[in-house]
Amino acid sequence: MKKLFSILCLVALAFTLSSCANKKKNQYAGVDGDYVNGTPLADRKEGSAFFSDNVVKGQYPPVYFGFDSYSVGDSEKGKIDDVAAAIKDSQKTIIVAGFTDERGTDEYNRGLGEKRAEAVRQALIDKGVSAGRIQTVSFGKEMPADSGSGDAAWAKNRRVEFGVVK
Amino acid sequence: MRIIRLVYHSSSIMKKTVILGLLILPLLSLVAEPTPTITVRKGEGVNLSLQAIGGSDGAAISKTLKNDLEISGWFTFVDAGKGSYAASGNASGGALEGKVTDRSGGTVLAKTYKGSARENAHHFANDIVETLTGNKGMATSKIVFASNRTGRKEIYVADYDGTNANQLTHDNVISVSPAISPDGKKVAYTGYQSGYADIYLIELSSGARNRIVKFPGTNSGAAFSPDGSHIAAMVSKDGNPELYVIPLNGIGVHRLTHTKGVESSPSWSPDGKSIVYCSDDGGSPQIYIIPSGGGTQRMLHTGFGYCTEPNWSPDGKRIAFNIRSGGSFSVAVLDIQSGSVRVVGSGENPAWGPDSRHLIYSTGSSLIILDVPTGHTTNVISGFGKVSEPDWSR
Repeated sequence: MKKLFSILCLVALAFTLSSCANKKKNQYAGVDGDYVNGTPLADRKEGSAFFSDNVVKGQYPPVYFGFDSYSVGDSEKGKIDDVAAAIKDSQKTIIVAGFTDERGTDEYNRGLGEKRAEAVRQALIDKGVSAGRIQTVSFGKEMPADSGSGDAAWAKNRRVEFGVVK
Repeated sequence: MRIIRLVYHSSSIMKKTVILGLLILPLLSLVAEPTPTITVRKGEGVNLSLQAIGGSDGAAISKTLKNDLEISGWFTFVDAGKGSYAASGNASGGALEGKVTDRSGGTVLAKTYKGSARENAHHFANDIVETLTGNKGMATSKIVFASNRTGRKEIYVADYDGTNANQLTHDNVISVSPAISPDGKKVAYTGYQSGYADIYLIELSSGARNRIVKFPGTNSGAAFSPDGSHIAAMVSKDGNPELYVIPLNGIGVHRLTHTKGVESSPSWSPDGKSIVYCSDDGGSPQIYIIPSGGGTQRMLHTGFGYCTEPNWSPDGKRIAFNIRSGGSFSVAVLDIQSGSVRVVGSGENPAWGPDSRHLIYSTGSSLIILDVPTGHTTNVISGFGKVSEPDWSR
């Protein structure tokens, strides 16, 4: 009986150790790991750059953001709902382009612009738009809507624009 | 160029020394309130008398050599006969015979260089620095940067002193975030030719270019590993901007970070085992270190609320990064062992030179090389429109 208990203890210990190892391995398993945020992007559809004549811009108003923020404010959510309702049943590809104001360093702002685009993309998906039809791009602080400096210009530049591929 | 200057008398050691205007932040707390202390350093220069280089190419070489040795920061120039060392040489027909003697006339360096006048001067300068100080020289290094002088941002490469600036891309889209490989032979950058941000790789010798990272979303911010075999970069294909390590052939990518925030701007430790980067996962952008093979990240406590664009020194001892104070950006340096942080200049995107002593950064209209211990600055690129995101070969 005592021997059986020892064996059970050993088995339990081995099980505990192996599950620890598995947990750690899974946590850092790279692209196939257990912690993927949101919905992976659909394959690229190249041939239609956001700033090209092949993309209709300005059809839907931009979504604006607070300083150094990528959360979609309550005042902006209705804009995304309108876009989702308008395009949900079409087959067109929509490009969601993120931008920042000039008050950040270059590469961090590219990341912030992409995060803004992906926040809006997720909101579109949540409203029923197929993930396969949404592409994202970030221009960081390049291509400002208003080339001035100051609060009014910065507020216009912290944005996500929608482009519909013709 | 605005340098923060503080005068603070508290110790007898400081009274003896020269104020260089470096602000130290002891990091005993997380409070962003700077504690005024002064970093003071005497001129520690090696006394060197630099004699005019003789021969038909002598004048050109003398000028380049003097500039290299001045920017290096290691020397105090003295008249002939008064230096601890004397450098001299003779140059003609594409060859430079360089010589350095000590006070007793003994030869400490004698070497013949064959190449262009500038190359010969740069190699001689490096040998002088390495022989007399034991430190790596930077005179043969290269810089890369983005400039909008054609109307669009394009990538340029130049000698570290700003000469021989050469436009690498002519794409008339947006080309940004250049990185030069440690050996100076390859340049990676972010280009928007596809309409999206992709990472391109250029072989400088042949001019061959390949698009090596083109996942859906944004791919940007390439940084070469110390052995030049991999890049680390921001990739957003999983639905969030995360850091990846990517072999130069693009096959076998490895995701490093797993957060809900933005990870950007990786830079490798010299042993290749760690990567420093910026993440805003904790609410504001801060500096983190993660093992390059994957693992747990840890935040570096800088005392500042906005920290971006970190760059690891080639000797592994320090990390330069940007902080935002007021409406502008300052360059700060974190000493890894002590944890102290100094604000050393005003500008964006600092990158260390090969000697781990100098930084290059952008003021918008210029690229500045800063000698960190002395605070001496040299304007190496100006008149190029808006210049941004410099990087420096090792």
